[in-house]
Amino acid sequence: MRTPSGLAGAAIVALMLVLAVVGPPIWGDRAELIDPVAALQGVSAAHPLGTDNLGRDILARVLVAARLSLLLAALATAIGAAIGVVLGTLPSVLPRRLGRLVSSTVSALVAFPGLLLAMFTAVVAGLGARGAVLGIGVALAPAFARLTQTLAASIAGSDFVAAARMLGVSKATIVRRHVLPNIAEPLILNLTVMIGASLVGLAGMSFLGLGVQAPGYDWGRLLFDGFARIYVNPMVALGPAFMVVLAGLGFNLMGEALAKSATRSTVPKGAAPAAPAPEAGEADPEAVLEVRNLTVTFPGGVTPVREVSLTVGPGEIVGLVGESGSGKSLTAYAVGGLVPYPGVVGGGPVLLDGQDVHALPATERRKLLGTSLAMVFQDPMASLNPALKVGGQLAEVATVHQGATRAEAWQRAVDRLGHVRISEPARRARQHPHQLSGGMRQRAVIAMGLMGVPRLIIADEPTTGLDVTVQREILRLLREVTEESAAATLFISHDMAVVGSLCDRVVVMYAGRVVEELPADRLVSGAAHPYTRALVASVPDMSADRSLPLASIPGRQPGPAEVGEGCAFAERCALSTDRCTATRPPLEEHGKAHRVACWEAS
Amino acid sequence: MIIKGLTVRFGAFTAVDDVTLEVPEGRIVGLVGESGSGKSTLARAVSGLVPYTGEIVDGDGVQMVFQDPYASLNPRMTVGASVAEGLRRPTPADVERLLGLVSLPPQLASRYPRELSGGMRQRVAIARALGASPRLLVADEITSALDVSVQGAVLNLVRGLRAELGLSMLFISHNLAVVRYVADEIAVMREGRVVEHGPTRQVVETPAHPYTRDLLAAVPRLPAP
Ligand SMILES: Nc1ncnc2c1ncn2[C@@H]1O[C@H](COP(=O)(O)OP(=O)(O)OP(=O)(O)O)[C@@H](O)[C@H]1O
Ligand code: SF4
Ligand SMILES: [Mg+2]
Repeated sequence: MRTPSGLAGAAIVALMLVLAVVGPPIWGDRAELIDPVAALQGVSAAHPLGTDNLGRDILARVLVAARLSLLLAALATAIGAAIGVVLGTLPSVLPRRLGRLVSSTVSALVAFPGLLLAMFTAVVAGLGARGAVLGIGVALAPAFARLTQTLAASIAGSDFVAAARMLGVSKATIVRRHVLPNIAEPLILNLTVMIGASLVGLAGMSFLGLGVQAPGYDWGRLLFDGFARIYVNPMVALGPAFMVVLAGLGFNLMGEALAKSATRSTVPKGAAPAAPAPEAGEADPEAVLEVRNLTVTFPGGVTPVREVSLTVGPGEIVGLVGESGSGKSLTAYAVGGLVPYPGVVGGGPVLLDGQDVHALPATERRKLLGTSLAMVFQDPMASLNPALKVGGQLAEVATVHQGATRAEAWQRAVDRLGHVRISEPARRARQHPHQLSGGMRQRAVIAMGLMGVPRLIIADEPTTGLDVTVQREILRLLREVTEESAAATLFISHDMAVVGSLCDRVVVMYAGRVVEELPADRLVSGAAHPYTRALVASVPDMSADRSLPLASIPGRQPGPAEVGEGCAFAERCALSTDRCTATRPPLEEHGKAHRVACWEAS
Repeated sequence: MIIKGLTVRFGAFTAVDDVTLEVPEGRIVGLVGESGSGKSTLARAVSGLVPYTGEIVDGDGVQMVFQDPYASLNPRMTVGASVAEGLRRPTPADVERLLGLVSLPPQLASRYPRELSGGMRQRVAIARALGASPRLLVADEITSALDVSVQGAVLNLVRGLRAELGLSMLFISHNLAVVRYVADEIAVMREGRVVEHGPTRQVVETPAHPYTRDLLAAVPRLPAP
């Protein structure tokens, strides 16, 4: 709504409404004042828009006509909306056959020229304002019915409607209780645009002589009266025409802005700038990836990642686990320089093979990450363009970043597809993503990462949508690829069993911080943090004792703007003490390759 | 409930192919299989949401709980109104009782779904289904959209309801570990057919069908200490 066009629309609409209220009392007398001496005058200081054949001031009449014009438009809209909603919801209530008849009638009417429909109705209903309003209302109804029907159909397919049907709720009640309340908002937004359309439509009707009849007058009528003189005194017709156009435009702009703000997606894309990074201690020479005190902030005190430090060695897979919103994905994206705008990455450095990624100039950073970062997301289609052949998309990596010729690049793409065990790689390379199964697409994405020599592989829930047998294959592939390229792999998952079986080490995150870091084979019996223990115990694995209840973690994780002073887990922790709520436990060594942030860690 | 020779076709494609399966009174039958194997279609057929051929004996009084608790509650209705939907003459006391069954406080009745976590929403959906006093509850992947921290609580609830109310249940999941934990019997589906069905222990420990063995082998396991 805060766009220039939205603001302009709102301003125009507000102006029109004010005019409709104050116009008649202020200028009413002047508009009716008959002055034969001044009849049919052109533009003058006394009459900025001229006068009509009885010498009445046209400017005053235009301003006074705002009320009637808007009123009629609102009425026509109300009629159109009422008919539209009824026609649009009938198919959901009527027996199937009848419903289909109604919807095909609506389709036919939508295709029928609106103005003809309006004129026909107006002629049948009788000349005058009533006929015109009815006509425009009827003409607007089919489009509104279509919109209602489309929206209603999407709600009718929802799970909560299915649940209501199973519970024996009647069709009419479903429409009243479930469908209408959930489609009301977009429909009401659409009404604004419709008012604009009916304003213009009504003006057209009056102009054709089918609308308001003298002595009444709306903008269309004034236009009709002035039109005969347009070559002599253009202003007498342009004045009312201007108002019609302005009001119609205002309602349209506002309606569209409203609709847009109602459906706007929340996160704009684009890479975020990196804040200057304070220097930290010396680097681990062995590590491929080393991250120190990484922080991600969003405007408004939202800090989803807080002072995260990580080290990943060559050929090592480190799992990032934690519940939704703990900052796993953002941590990985910050490492890969992919945090969406307006997020700001702070702290650091992020060292990839000893090189500070965020300190590099933007072009060099892009080049470095273009060849040495491989990303695998839950949805492989996030990385594949549905319109392009798989082989071509892989080859592009080599032509853009490695300066290979097209033939070489294609050869390499086929080779890489074969490497991730896609059968018949040459044939598959010529196919489009949708011709591949989900597992194959995920392999193709991995193959894309292998076009260069990956140093860092970020896999964010790469197997979440896949079947267990396919999942096993993808996990094996990730393991192989990591080892043969000696890359550092960050593997994000909420599935403890997957992480435990694949990773070397596990980093547990809670409310943006690392709360424990331990070797994967110590998850089951060696976890020291109450949160890690609860996570492991809250999901059954194949060896879970069926006679015991699963652990559950009461309460909820604090949001990224609500994290307080003490231990973020204190509210949900059975071991919490006063000390926990007062001061945050630091992440400290806890035996070999094991770090924990908990005062009560045993 | 007994399903006999149930078949569901979508055009030329047979999603469920001549399935025969019994859900005995008071037992939880777990249904596993890969995506596209027909689990959800079978669930929807049993719940009367898709047309089928074949016979369902004692098939009335089926209620279903859906996978996505964010889509299965009307966002414009209070929790209380949603829960009351299956009741003929709902009173606040009924709503309170149903919320109590799923361990939710009665104050929640006046709240809207958006104020609830995924786990709480799923409990509301279960309470709503229980309101109709179902003879069979169909649970289709009810934990897979939930956060790890609340899955355990919902699974505990499912087992508690079986013990308390003697509820019969068709519990569908692609996660064998979850099914093993809650179900008394396991049926394995593949390409629209049930390829194996038996007591949980038997299916997990001595699987008869090669496909079941394959599935079991693929389940990720936490490394043993
Ligand atoms: N563009 C953004 N603006 C503001 N907050 C954001 C933005 N992106 C993410 N966040 C917040 O950052 C926190 C961490 O998000 P992140 O995606 O890293 O979580 P996650 O651990 O990967 O969760 P999941 O398991 O659901 O994928 C969340 O609370 C989220 O709401
Ligand atoms: S520091 Fe205290 S509150 Fe936090 S996890 Fe440890 S015991 Fe629980
Ligand atoms: Mg994530």
